[in-house]
Parts: sequence; structure tokens; C-alpha cells
Amino acid sequence: MTTPPGMTDADFADGLGAMRSAVGADWVFDQPADLNTYRDFYSVLWGEPEEKRASAAVAPANVEEVQQVVRIANERQIPIYPISTGRNLGYGGSAPVLSGSVVLDLKRMNRILEVNESNCSCLVEPGVSYFDMYRHLQETGSKLWIDCPDPGWGSLVGNALDSGGGYTAAGYRGHWEAVCGIESVMADGEVLRTGMGALPGSETWQQYRMGLGPCLDGLFRQSSLGVVTKMGFYMFPQPEAYLTGSIDVFRYEDLEELVDLLNELEYGNLFNGMPGIGSPVLSQDNPIAMTMIPPADEMNRMVQETGLAAWRASFTFYGPEKVIRAQWEHVKERHAHFQGVKFNEGDFITLPLSAEDMERIAKPRFGVPSLEIFFVGSRGFGNFNPSDGHIWFSAVIPRSGKGIIEANRVMRRECERLGLDLFMFAPAVTCWTRSFVLFAAVPVYKDPAKNQHLRESVREIIDICAQHGWGEYRCPPAFMDDVMDAYSFGDHKLRRVNEQIKDALDPNGILSAGRYGVWPKHLRDGRGA
Amino acid sequence: MISRRDVIKWGAVAPAIAAGSQAAFAQAPQGLDAFMLDTRYVDSLPTEHAGIPAICFAGDVTKPWFDTLDPAWRQRGYVLGGITGSDALFVLQSLAQQQGRRVVSQTQLGEKDERGVYPVSWVIAPVHPSVTA
Repeated sequence: MTTPPGMTDADFADGLGAMRSAVGADWVFDQPADLNTYRDFYSVLWGEPEEKRASAAVAPANVEEVQQVVRIANERQIPIYPISTGRNLGYGGSAPVLSGSVVLDLKRMNRILEVNESNCSCLVEPGVSYFDMYRHLQETGSKLWIDCPDPGWGSLVGNALDSGGGYTAAGYRGHWEAVCGIESVMADGEVLRTGMGALPGSETWQQYRMGLGPCLDGLFRQSSLGVVTKMGFYMFPQPEAYLTGSIDVFRYEDLEELVDLLNELEYGNLFNGMPGIGSPVLSQDNPIAMTMIPPADEMNRMVQETGLAAWRASFTFYGPEKVIRAQWEHVKERHAHFQGVKFNEGDFITLPLSAEDMERIAKPRFGVPSLEIFFVGSRGFGNFNPSDGHIWFSAVIPRSGKGIIEANRVMRRECERLGLDLFMFAPAVTCWTRSFVLFAAVPVYKDPAKNQHLRESVREIIDICAQHGWGEYRCPPAFMDDVMDAYSFGDHKLRRVNEQIKDALDPNGILSAGRYGVWPKHLRDGRGA
Repeated sequence: MISRRDVIKWGAVAPAIAAGSQAAFAQAPQGLDAFMLDTRYVDSLPTEHAGIPAICFAGDVTKPWFDTLDPAWRQRGYVLGGITGSDALFVLQSLAQQQGRRVVSQTQLGEKDERGVYPVSWVIAPVHPSVTA
């Protein structure tokens, strides 16, 4: 049996025994076949001694059992690592950041506590998946949508805590942005409710997010400070209709104004769906991987030779037909002055979805969870094998034409120099409000030598991006220290303040040690090594 | 609960089913509660054999999982045999683990394609006391 670092086998066995008493013997897992399911199947350390592995897993059924497990861990200084469903492949899966931690698996806490139709909100436990919520909404005839990531097999709570993103309307598709109200078991075993949840008898927990005083929700985002046991979300009232349109422009020089206009229109609420910026001429061979942006004259020549647009801005509208058609007309008018501009009206779909529409649409754009991406990925545009997997590299870049061009060129050049494979590359993903996030999917392997090269290359890319002022918003555990190092303003004041908070709220350092580069005091020097 | 004999029998007939033999399908074991057949690798077959439903799909497991497997896996029991692509098995395996089930048998039935995906026969059975029959 693996034991947590610094613990004797006897002390660990005693701790697991106490946890068995708390949750029932069937819900404590310490056998290899069980623990295998808590590995990160897309780990960049797969099969190596440094692979992050759990020593055991414990699955409590309710808040009271979570409190008991946390108190047991705190008394014995057993590191624990909460997961909701552990489905965030590409960002760590179910595995802990600190090897030897006990995974606190919250899958049994899968109750949908409330869906409030008039308030357009819900309150859920961490084991509730997007599929669970979708099924509930279907069965109850709800008029509300969830916003789900793709694939949609994960937890609402887990994905929001990781700052995951979806594909519907602004305010919902940045999943952390849709959170309203958190309940968390703290390291001392006490329960904290944020926002209006701190006021006994309040009926406004899922309405007014801030409550009184410092807004503490952020303590739990990508953090190691609590075990979130309930979370509220704003939900999107099903719109009457959906419309897409795209606008093609044909000169390299058009990008800057195209992005500026996109920003103005979105920030002015002239459209509410997820926008996009792409390049048809640079995505001829692979629609999910933009190639290096060439110099202006070369790109303009490519455009002339192929007839393909240099840039394409895409727009999505949700709302009453009359309104969204008028919005699309306005968007077109604002772009009419571009030389050679071409307007493409896409899908118009009335809602709710018909059975026929359901078969042809991109489901996550309609709040419908799907697993199709695993199939699309494996038959798709690159040699992507899901049994080997991938990691995501996702850096926040400036939301401007210049930002796209510079980030594209630097990433493409450096990845080629380093021999780093990419099977997907999109420099301007817009799930999160007012942001472009450069996304690159990097294939991982079951081959240690290839993975070592991958790790060294990604670390170099993290450093290069940091030199340009681009930081990752989320990353796999193997790179959390490196990414946190990049946020270095004020002699790493961000990390140091996080460490001060960690020491104050979790003095024994039992919760999620090392998550996003914040280590407890006793592991800080070696960072868990 | 599927017996070891049934698992072995499924392993024995699965390659013939994948090769398109309807006769082999008729010999499939009784210990299974359903068959899952990926039409990328298995030609169309009867929708049931001896009262055991065959769930056919073409690579994307969303609909069979949402409509059939997820509700079934919330109950006790339910042993599932399949011939699918390895990509589909990866997804099903991950979902099964969440619900106290595990792949108890698998056999590669063909070569990997250029993307590393290959046909595989398998049995997923309940292993956690909360879901064993």
C-alpha cells in the first residue's frame, strides 16, 4: 500500500480505519484495481515513478461525512484531494497533485437540490454531472438550459471550480462566471457558506452573489482551501430561437479592425452568443488547427490564389426571432465597409430543438451534453488516439488582432522548433468574458521518453509565453508550479499571499496540496517532491 | 452476475460476430444483459438475441449511454458485452468506473488504424457491492 509522504503505514492504516467508520467500509478504496481508476489517464508522467498517484480514495455520501473525513485527516495530517467526478481529462483527471494523497471522491453527493424556474438558477452537489442536470431538466419539463463543456460528462461544480467553459450565451459559458453561492467544508471541518448563504433564512443565495464584505467565492476557484459541497448557478432561460452568421474579409490588414468591431458589438450587447475569429485560408488542411500567420503580402497572395477569406468573424445570437434577425442585420451593416466583405448566414433554429435538429446540431451550443467529441477526435483531423490522450495548453492573450497574430506566430514557431506536436490550435477561444484564450491540444503518450520531451517543451513554452505577458488560465498538475511561477509580479506576491491564506485556513496543509502551485508550509521548499 | 464461463464464451464468439457471422451472434452467452455493437466494426445484426437486446451505435456512445446504460447502471446488476472501437470503450470504461463497474475482460480483435483505434470485445460488469446483483 502506498502511504502519504511522511506517514507510517500504521498511522495511515489507522486513519483509513477511522474514515471507514465515517463513510462505511465499502466506500474506502485502497486496492490497486480501485486506485487504478483514480489515475490521470492523460498524464504526462504515465508509468513513471513521478506519476501522481493516490494512496487511497474515500467517497462520502453527504456533508456530514465530508466533515468527518476532513476532521480525521486534519487530526492525523493526512493529505486529501477532493474531486467531483474527476473527468477533466487534459487537466489532471482524478489524480491528486501530491502523490500519496487520499482522493476525496464526491461522486455520491449527486443531488440536484433545487432548480428554480422563476429565478433561473440551481443549487447542486458536486457529484451532479451535466448529463444528470440535463436529464433532470428534460424530465421536469424545465424551460432552463445549462451551459456544458464538451465533452459533457463532468461535474457542474468541478468544471466551474476549474474555470471550465462552454458554448452558449455570455454570462453562462464561462462557468465560474455563472456561479452564485458556495458551501464549503473548511480544513477544520466547519462549514462556510458564501454570499447570501451566510444569512440564515435568506432566499437570495442564488440571486445576489457578493453578500457582505470581501467576496470569498474566489477562495475556492482552482484552490486548496476547502471541499466545496454545494454550489449555486445562474441558468439560461431557453431562448425562442438561435441564429448564426459569419463575416469574411479578405485582407491581412483587416484583422485589427475586425476584432475591435467584434469587441464593441459584444460589449455593447449587440449579440450574446459565443463569437469566433478564424482564418479560412490558414485552416484549409485542418479546420481545427490554424497554421502560422505569414507576412501580409504572402497571406494576401494566398487569399487571391485560393479565393478563401483571410479572416472570418462568426457570431451567434440567442433570443426572439425578430430581435436576433435585427441584431444580425446590424452586425452586417457595421461590417459593410470592409473591401470585398462577404456575409454568410448560418443556422436559424427555433427552440426547443426538434428531433431532426437534435441530430444535426452542435449539441453544446444548445446546452445539450455530448460525448461525441471522443468519436470525432478519434476519426478527426489528426492522429489523435484517446487512449493516449492529450493535454491542453491554454494561455490568455490580448483580445486584439495584434494579439492573435503575435501569439499565433510565437506559438507556431516555438512549437516547431521544439518538435512539439499539436493536433488542435486555436488562438482566439472566447468562452470567457472579454478574453481570448489561445488553445493548443498537445498529444501525450504512454512512452516516457516522448513524455519527457513533451514536459520539457511545454515548460519552455510556458516560459516563452510568460515573457510575452501570456499566462495560462488552467493547466495539468505537472505544470502548475511552472505556471504559478510565471505570475511573478511583485516578487511572486500572488503566490506568497496565497500561501499566507493557505497557512491561515489550512495550517496542517491537508487540502489539495500543491494545487495551482500553492503548497502547504511543510512541503513548500520541495514542492511535494 | 455473469459467470467466468459466460465471459470466456463471449470472448470466444466475439471475433466471429465482428467478422459478420450472424450464426456466432446466436451462440452468444446468456449471462449478458445487453450487447453493445459498434457498427464501424460489426455489420448489422438482429436487435436482440434470445431476449437480450443489442444496442447498435456508430462510434459516438452519447445516445446509448444516456438512453440505456446510465439508467441501467443506476440499478444493481447489468452485465454488458460489447464489440466496439477502443475509443468507444475508453469512454464507456470511464463512465462505468463512476458507477461501480469495471471492464472484466477485453480482447483486441484487429489491428490499430492510423489513429491508433482498434476493434475490441469486452465485458463490463458490476464490481462494487452497491451495484452487484
